Amino acid sequence: MAAASVVTDAATEVLMPGSEDEAIAAFGDGAEVVVVGGGTIVLPDLTYRRRRARKALMLGGAGLAGIETQGSRVTIGTMTPVQELVDMPAPLGPCAANVADLEIRSQGTVGGNLCAREGYEAPRGDLQSAFLALGASARSAANGDVTEEPLEDFLPKRRERLLLGVSFDEPAAGAFAGLDRPHTHDYTALAVSGAKGTDGTLRLAATGTGSWGVRLPSAEAAAEDPVAAGEAALEDVSPHDDALASAWYRTKVLPVLVRRVLDELKESA
Amino acid sequence: MKVVGARIPRYDGVAHVTGRTTYVDDVSVPGTLWAKALRSPHHHAGITTLDTSKAEAMPGVRGVITWKDVPLLEYGHLSALGIPADEPLLAKDEVRYRGQPIALVAAESEELAAEAVDAIEVGFEERPALFDVREAFDSDAPKVHQWGNWYPHFEGEMDRRQIRKGDIERAFDEADTIVQGVYRPAAIEHAPIETQVCQVVPEANGRLTIYSCTQALYFSLGVVAAHLQVPLNRLKIVGGTTGGGFGGKVDTATETMACLLVLKANRPVKWRWTREEEFLCSSTRAPWHMELATAMTKDGWILGQKMLTLHDAGAYARFSPYGLTKHSFHHTGAYSIPNLHFDGYVVFTNRTPTTAMRGFGVTSVSFAVETHLSRVAKELGLDPIEIRMRNANRIGDTSPNGVAYTDPSTIDTLQAIADAIGHELPADYRTMTNEPRAGELLPEHLVAQVGSTEGH
Amino acid sequence: MNLTVNGITHGVDGRELATLLDVLREDIGVTGPKAGCHQGGCGACTVLVDGEPRRSCLLPAGYADGTEITTVEGLGTPEKLAPIQQAFVHHYAAQCGFCTSGMMLAAHAYIDRGGTDDHDAIQQALGGHVCRCTGYSKIIDAVAAAARGDSFDLTTTAVGKYTTMATGGGE
Repeated sequence: MAAASVVTDAATEVLMPGSEDEAIAAFGDGAEVVVVGGGTIVLPDLTYRRRRARKALMLGGAGLAGIETQGSRVTIGTMTPVQELVDMPAPLGPCAANVADLEIRSQGTVGGNLCAREGYEAPRGDLQSAFLALGASARSAANGDVTEEPLEDFLPKRRERLLLGVSFDEPAAGAFAGLDRPHTHDYTALAVSGAKGTDGTLRLAATGTGSWGVRLPSAEAAAEDPVAAGEAALEDVSPHDDALASAWYRTKVLPVLVRRVLDELKESA
Repeated sequence: MKVVGARIPRYDGVAHVTGRTTYVDDVSVPGTLWAKALRSPHHHAGITTLDTSKAEAMPGVRGVITWKDVPLLEYGHLSALGIPADEPLLAKDEVRYRGQPIALVAAESEELAAEAVDAIEVGFEERPALFDVREAFDSDAPKVHQWGNWYPHFEGEMDRRQIRKGDIERAFDEADTIVQGVYRPAAIEHAPIETQVCQVVPEANGRLTIYSCTQALYFSLGVVAAHLQVPLNRLKIVGGTTGGGFGGKVDTATETMACLLVLKANRPVKWRWTREEEFLCSSTRAPWHMELATAMTKDGWILGQKMLTLHDAGAYARFSPYGLTKHSFHHTGAYSIPNLHFDGYVVFTNRTPTTAMRGFGVTSVSFAVETHLSRVAKELGLDPIEIRMRNANRIGDTSPNGVAYTDPSTIDTLQAIADAIGHELPADYRTMTNEPRAGELLPEHLVAQVGSTEGH
Repeated sequence: MNLTVNGITHGVDGRELATLLDVLREDIGVTGPKAGCHQGGCGACTVLVDGEPRRSCLLPAGYADGTEITTVEGLGTPEKLAPIQQAFVHHYAAQCGFCTSGMMLAAHAYIDRGGTDDHDAIQQALGGHVCRCTGYSKIIDAVAAAARGDSFDLTTTAVGKYTTMATGGGE
């Protein structure tokens, strides 16, 4: 069944799917489709004409929200509001709590946050570091084909596929350290998440050091010594200047955040 | 007295909390067109081509204006005082700051107006731009203004605001210590929550009714009438509640251009700036460059002060000469200094033109003088409050422009500050008053200061 | 789609992707929510959607289909002010008034979900709302007073003795 379609003006066709299948069909190959999650990132882009929408895919009615736990496996639907993660254990809970303010967190979605394109003056995607540290996998669709793959592999192509949800195993321990945001609606200038799996695997990841969140493998390898790991993290990133912070500042702060996360993980172990 | 010291409700309090207050953006007039501006993407550039024909031919577009449509293109914010104008309402041959308006479109919707702006063909030839007021003052800096890089039209066609008082050379010769400092407060955007907005309605009687968020109703009325070259009785201006201004809504930012669009389209027009426009090109508080040198005795008397001020006007003069004048009158802060040498310049750069903000021209000098005086106290090993009280203005002391103070409150204020922060003052400072200087507090170098009006 | 605004249902078509703010102001003519930035940065446009505070400039109107929307006009009337409105008047928490409707709706929702007069919690609840006039102290005082359930005397006290706002304005 085709999604309900509304033409708002001559330029934009609005698609409002009522189920996951309809959403996948409406997304198609993704060409010229602007996906609207909660709207908190897309709407200002449209208002300020930074993006034009030939087709707008509004996912609000597609039933893609919700958090499910089966055993130790947690699955979060793409349309789940960020606010619903706030009380989850670290790194996800504190990372989510650091996003914008209550009103925006309640409207902005997990999928919208993970799939946001780089901002015009700053990177977006506050939640990426937390999900990367959790070793999350992403379930997504394009051309009717649904696949599941590690989030790291998905992030570079997040604009070409429709994210349906993310899942991960509950960690044994987690930690988050981020810079305070100068204003509630700024994106995170820099944040580091860490998680230790029940099998002992340690993952570290950063948001705010590039166009999207990245793992910090050099820091993971040096994790026994948090100070050395902090310095090693710099090998995994190439920080940049933007409106929120300079590359110099990010270079100074990243080792500190990595050290804090590792210290906290040690304490909780 | 029924009101002073009493608690009275705000006259507009209930309207504010019930959403009944009507701001300009809340005025709804059927048939209103939306305005959008083509703005300069460059900080400094020549305009090589400007063609609005494609925009004019677009469906839904009801009017486009450029400099050619303005009856009096240049009218300065201080023109009513006889001061020459330097700023075109719409850019003609060149643009001097990023965001400077070049053309405006009125169309049936905001979206259509924005699309029509994109359809205007304009060519630029970029030129070197200046962003630092001190660099703009260098003799080899690129010229960015038709008058040179600083304003040349103070009284007597002087190129600076100048104050000379007493014998400055002697003060510096006799000083035990000279303390110097450079102070550079940055530009500040007022950031009112209501962006610049106006709504203009053509009336059946031929008048234009202007709904404006301006802080300066009758001033704006005069500016619009001058640009339009119409008598004041052709215009009716409706002010009301401003959604925050703080000085930033003193410049006539929108009204004149909206009126021109109304005359072109014969339809009501609304022009509401986006937040991005507000940050890009609404006027800001000026950045300043202030150099201070103070001649001190070792026991904390200020014998003399030399000061150089560079006030960044941005690309055009607007109110800056007035701001600098106020600055010069206040350049000794709250203190009595007998020997003065002050030179202040209004310097042009390629920044957004600057304007008033909460104490026009005075906050900058207060920042410099107070910071400097604390440094002076530290250099001399003196108490920062006592050094201020010692040099504080008293009844009969004179300001830099020769006005005798009748009721300065510096001493009371400093005593209250000391109290509030638990700062112990010596007995003679606790009982000090504003009364004219006498005894120990009237040293020889201040005798001539009291009641003096000469030399300004 | 159907939007119920302050108890009155309006049918609006073809505006699903428009911001709820623009639909409220331009299509329905409810001007209490203000357009301060159109990008979620100031909070002047906040309204209640089924009782929850939302930035109407970030919410596609289509997502509000079938909901009950409350704007400042629906909080109370000049004759019968809601407690938060009385608190804002009493504490001089509205100066230019442009941020006031968003502030009050966020505060109203905060108190509704059990918020107390704790200043830190109030700051968290209003953290996304910008005021450029009052400097926030009076706003926080007002929200705290309303959260406590203070009662307010809004009559002129022109011959009353001077009282400071910090003490809650009581005689």
